[in-house]
Amino acid sequence: MLSKLINLDRRIIFILVALAVIIPTLLPLNLPINVSNPTQRIYDYIDTLPAGSTIMIAFDYGPSSMPELNPMAKAVLRHCFDKKVRVIGMTLYPFAPTLADTLIKEVAEEKGAVNGEDYVFLGFRPGYEQVMLRMGTSIASAFEKDYTNTPLTEIPMMKDITNYDQIDLILDLASGSTTQIWITYVNVKYSQQIAAGVTGVIVSNMYPYLQTKQLIGLMPGYLGASEYEKLIGVPEKGTEGINNASPVHVLIFVLVVIGNTVFFIQRRREE
Amino acid sequence: MKRQVPLVLCFLFGVVMCFTQFSPHQYSQAVYNEVINWALIMAPFALIFGTITLIQTHVTRIRRRIEHWQYSFVVFAGLLTMAFIGILFGPQDPAFEWLFNNVQVPLDATMFSLLAFLIASAAFRAFRARTFEATLLLIAAMIVLIGNVPVGDLIWNTVLSWLPWDNGASETRQWILGNPNLSARRGIILGVSLGVISQAIRLILGIERSYIGGGD
Repeated sequence: MLSKLINLDRRIIFILVALAVIIPTLLPLNLPINVSNPTQRIYDYIDTLPAGSTIMIAFDYGPSSMPELNPMAKAVLRHCFDKKVRVIGMTLYPFAPTLADTLIKEVAEEKGAVNGEDYVFLGFRPGYEQVMLRMGTSIASAFEKDYTNTPLTEIPMMKDITNYDQIDLILDLASGSTTQIWITYVNVKYSQQIAAGVTGVIVSNMYPYLQTKQLIGLMPGYLGASEYEKLIGVPEKGTEGINNASPVHVLIFVLVVIGNTVFFIQRRREE
Repeated sequence: MKRQVPLVLCFLFGVVMCFTQFSPHQYSQAVYNEVINWALIMAPFALIFGTITLIQTHVTRIRRRIEHWQYSFVVFAGLLTMAFIGILFGPQDPAFEWLFNNVQVPLDATMFSLLAFLIASAAFRAFRARTFEATLLLIAAMIVLIGNVPVGDLIWNTVLSWLPWDNGASETRQWILGNPNLSARRGIILGVSLGVISQAIRLILGIERSYIGGGD
């Protein structure tokens, strides 16, 4: 019995995982969400910005991380447009322009935000550090035109924005190491305030920067997205995602407990 | 000569760029801005080299009939289609957007979501408390795993409601991430940073020469 359990066919585990995802998708759970301090700090920072302030959102992720990071982007964009905070979107990932452009347009349409006045999407430029450092002197020298090929000089919103001095916050939505690069090159050199929303797997890397306040706040994966959605009062894909992920986490927890229990019983018998 | 020129350039640019960080003089900043401009122009070449390497790798696979060589044609089909539409009509063209949303997004999502199945299976088979260190790691991982979803607090507040402590799962997760994890990470960051500094000094002084194809 024990050896059967410890050598459980992996296909049974796969079926259990599939069921743990499918069932809550069909029968939505409505679990209570507690907002963590790092997410609250981003919300508070944006919430206290006066109308007409500017935040830059770096969409540094590709389609594989969309489920975790798109809900964060959506929630923050909604918050910004509600508060009349202007948004500059850009990306250092070649896979991101289409998804970022689609997302910004969708939220802008919903909130009645105008391209060029309330937001602008600059698109993609290759080179991480080089683009970040160049924008420190002049954003227009790194991005001469926006994603729709309009020169930045012709965009009303960009008339009074030259470099980081006119940007109140950079929010890096990242699935890789870009947040550390933003901190190293932009926070340290230009004293720019930076916040991050990252995928679950890299959350632990960010805590040293939270403590030093080099990150003013952090949205951790699905959880961060659901927390921000709760703060703006619009539960959507992030909330749905964290509710669907909950049974899978419990399943993995139970599997590890079973695996170790069997392992200990077997070891004791052998002794 | 082929080796000396890159070494001299590396030394000069390394020293000059270091110097610009300590001098706010207009000439110093002009040099800094100019070099950053050059770097910005050079960055796209990394993409071009990447594409060339990809093509070379798959041409070799097809020529040598390496196992599953047929799939290399799929790579070329994808590369050529996206490049053709993207270069000719731009990334905002409906065809480009359609391909991105209906081919790349589902493919990437599928690949990534397979991880959930593999992680569950691997955790069941391999995550064992064999030693004291492994036990510590296991306990911390399980707390972070369950504290990372709202069901963790729900279980805590229901099963452990007698404790004078609400939302213990997420609070303990935060403590683990903000204390032992933070300390270990900071040590790693400091170690890596010192390594990067020493490697940069070796490069600038020409001690490290592997980037020009040799260690002598």
